[in-house]
Amino acid sequence: MKVGLFIPCYVNAIYPEIGVACYKLLDYLGVEVDYPVNQTCCGQPMANAGFEDEAIPLAKSFEKEFAEYEFVVVPSGSCGSFVKLNYPRLLSKEGRESHTSGKVYDFCEFLHDILKVDKLPAKFPHKVSVHNSCHGVRELHLSSASELNIPRYSKVKDLLSLVEGIEVMEPGKLDECCGFGGMFAVEEQAVSVCIGQDKIKNHMATGAEYITGADSSCLMHMQGIVEREKLPVKFIHVVQILAAGL
Amino acid sequence: MSTKHAEAAERFIENKEQESWHNETLWLVRVKRDNMAMAVPEWEELRELANKIKMHTITHLHKYIQQFAENAEANGVIVHWAKDAKEHNEIVYDILKKHNTKKLVKSKSMLTEECHMNPYLIEKGIDVVESDLGERIIQFMGVPPSHIVMPAIHIKREAVGKLFEEVLHTEKGNSDPTYLTRAARAHLRNEFLTADVGMTGANFGVAETGDVVVCTNEGNADMGTSIPKVHIVSMGIEKLVPNHKSLSVYTRLLARSATGQPVTSYTSHFRKPREGCEMHIVLVDNGRSEILSNPEHIQTLKCIRCAACMNTCPVYRRSGGYSYTYFIPGPIGINLGMLKFPERYYDNVSACSLCYSCNNVCPVKIDLADQIYRWRQNLDSLGKADKMKKLMSGGMKFLFTHPSIYYNTLKMAPAANIMPRFMIYNGLNEWGKGRELPRFSGESFTQMWKKGKVQRKNNK
Amino acid sequence: MDNSKRDILENIKRHTSVQYDMPEIDIEGIQYPDKISQFILISKAVGGDAVELDPGQDVNEIIRALYPEAKRIASNLPDISVATFNPDDVSDPGGLNGTDLAIIQGEVGVAENGCVWIPQNVKQKVLYFITEYLVIILDKNNIVNNMHEAYEKISFNDKGFGVFISGPSKTADIEQALVVGAHGAKGVTVILK
Repeated sequence: MKVGLFIPCYVNAIYPEIGVACYKLLDYLGVEVDYPVNQTCCGQPMANAGFEDEAIPLAKSFEKEFAEYEFVVVPSGSCGSFVKLNYPRLLSKEGRESHTSGKVYDFCEFLHDILKVDKLPAKFPHKVSVHNSCHGVRELHLSSASELNIPRYSKVKDLLSLVEGIEVMEPGKLDECCGFGGMFAVEEQAVSVCIGQDKIKNHMATGAEYITGADSSCLMHMQGIVEREKLPVKFIHVVQILAAGL
Repeated sequence: MSTKHAEAAERFIENKEQESWHNETLWLVRVKRDNMAMAVPEWEELRELANKIKMHTITHLHKYIQQFAENAEANGVIVHWAKDAKEHNEIVYDILKKHNTKKLVKSKSMLTEECHMNPYLIEKGIDVVESDLGERIIQFMGVPPSHIVMPAIHIKREAVGKLFEEVLHTEKGNSDPTYLTRAARAHLRNEFLTADVGMTGANFGVAETGDVVVCTNEGNADMGTSIPKVHIVSMGIEKLVPNHKSLSVYTRLLARSATGQPVTSYTSHFRKPREGCEMHIVLVDNGRSEILSNPEHIQTLKCIRCAACMNTCPVYRRSGGYSYTYFIPGPIGINLGMLKFPERYYDNVSACSLCYSCNNVCPVKIDLADQIYRWRQNLDSLGKADKMKKLMSGGMKFLFTHPSIYYNTLKMAPAANIMPRFMIYNGLNEWGKGRELPRFSGESFTQMWKKGKVQRKNNK
Repeated sequence: MDNSKRDILENIKRHTSVQYDMPEIDIEGIQYPDKISQFILISKAVGGDAVELDPGQDVNEIIRALYPEAKRIASNLPDISVATFNPDDVSDPGGLNGTDLAIIQGEVGVAENGCVWIPQNVKQKVLYFITEYLVIILDKNNIVNNMHEAYEKISFNDKGFGVFISGPSKTADIEQALVVGAHGAKGVTVILK
């Protein structure tokens, strides 16, 4: 099984340690991991802002970079869902097919559904509050969306339950948006920050030391607010918890 | 780079107490909706049926609308056809004139709002009385609704108390909701008794029987149509369902989705005029038939106006109905406004973080968020794309399609010059208003990988 | 106006492209092991009430006990002796204003939401809404599980009006505070026979 690691542009620049954790954990699980070094961005920021045609060249290059892998795994659900859900349509505008959309997985999804991990050596003796990201929940179905009358599940919580010593909480308004939304964060900055403040309040009300989640972009947005307001809560990506000690 | 919505939203949020109340109050409605949805085991199946029945009906509208009109006429109802708002208003006024109407008492109708009917009739000297309590409050205040189901949700009880002191002579300083509602009851009871004509909207029209179905909790539509000798129904052509069997699906979904009740207090079926009275139905197109040809947005025609999308929307709850420039706010309003007049209402397209919660609560499964995404793609061709956003997107594309430049930038530059570029590009620095900027790590993952810092040592 | 009808129909035709099939509506709506107790429960939940008549108990006794202060009591039902007048003798609907209590016959009750189907069975339907309090008499064998079953069962008469009533009139238009008795009845009791 050969996995191509897709490290979104901002994770690459700001949170390389998340990428490192991805590598370590997959490697520990016996997966052959490669990182195509010419990858850049999936194109979601432009597309969500209303310029999806500008994402087409990026989609083409993404397809090329990840052509040889059986799976593409990404520690950011939103980027993964953009590839999965939008590439086929975008590429069809140029008469092409997408070969990556069917094999791209959010990191947790990959561990849960493909590797079916049921044991991990990780220890993390802390209380964490799980951030259920919109695209992870409502596009990738990492957990049951709170609006739907379907059996309740959470792949992220399933994985975290394998970690020794961890206490896993969830905030009130379980899967409400954090207010990031890409370009939305700057175009509607007042609403974006307001939603983020409320979200953090709900996370902190659980008494958690850490806010954790599968989507790095939500965490980045909330972290920006927490640092501005000097709030006593830390951020950590789920992958970093799962890879703790490796 | 901020839209009219963003600016108005910022003003709304400045009053933190009001914003927080608005947010939490509407969230409670969402919670009530959830409780109802979870108590119906076949909920998702119902939504899927509601979706399919509407898709069928609106794509066979040519048949159903005629069937409906024929059956209504056979029942003794007078059916009118209005191409647009102007025609609708004229038809209504003609009926009123024929009956020497001084006072028209009406229940809530988003369609008469859409047609700007009240100002038109008032101009002509008709005393138009809104009878839904929330609608009456905002009519007294001279302001538009801020929510389609709870039109006065933005107004606090003290303000209502003060208003009623002036217009209904209630006790000074008494803002108890029960007291104020009783005062409105007495006042509107008199209006019902003295109105010449009653008017309602329509929640559903049943093609097979010609029934008009109106749902209210207050009973105001029933009061308004049981006393005056004339009943006028204002109804959009998309309101049809084929038969009662279909209707049963929607009467189970509507109130549960709208207010978290199992059903509205009154679900009234108007089939014939009352004995010795007249009943008119005005069927209104006003742009609806054109939406049929728009595959990207045809699903808006399924809407049953429950407002669940507003109550769940993280943006609507924190920005209020008036922050939108179209009279219907929230996810459905963004889309309907764009369908109505994109050059005028494009400012609302920014009011969405693409969280997709609206898609999930919608009882008829309208792809609301997907549609907003699609509108954004069209803004550029309308010439309404934000220039800064366009520049940023273009800049990002350039950088990302030239990996060597991108990685050089990544190597050389501080965070400000790389990702997340769109957050810090413009001089206003909107990101920095409430958030610290993310810090560049010093060494990117790519650099680490290239230097072999990531890979396991015995792994080449 | 004829032109408008023609234009609208033409526009609809011209703009319709892909057509979708009507789905089979074979959904099994929610079922209750005990429809009567569920109906009573939900009637209370929607702000009303429902009571079961004991065998041999006179419906008039219950009504008198429930509404001791009612003075103007309307009913056209033959066995309602507490009625002080027959509403069908009142020709002007406004003349029914000031009715304290109306006792009417319901046809079908719905266990999932407390609805009772009333095909217009009085001369002036305003009675259902203008009365201060409302009593609906319902045969408990006519309670169905859900709205799908209800729509199979309901009927119209030649008056051409019917309404599902679920509990009293209510509003929450002032700050979402629930107030019972907006325009219609301030209280509704369903008596199950």
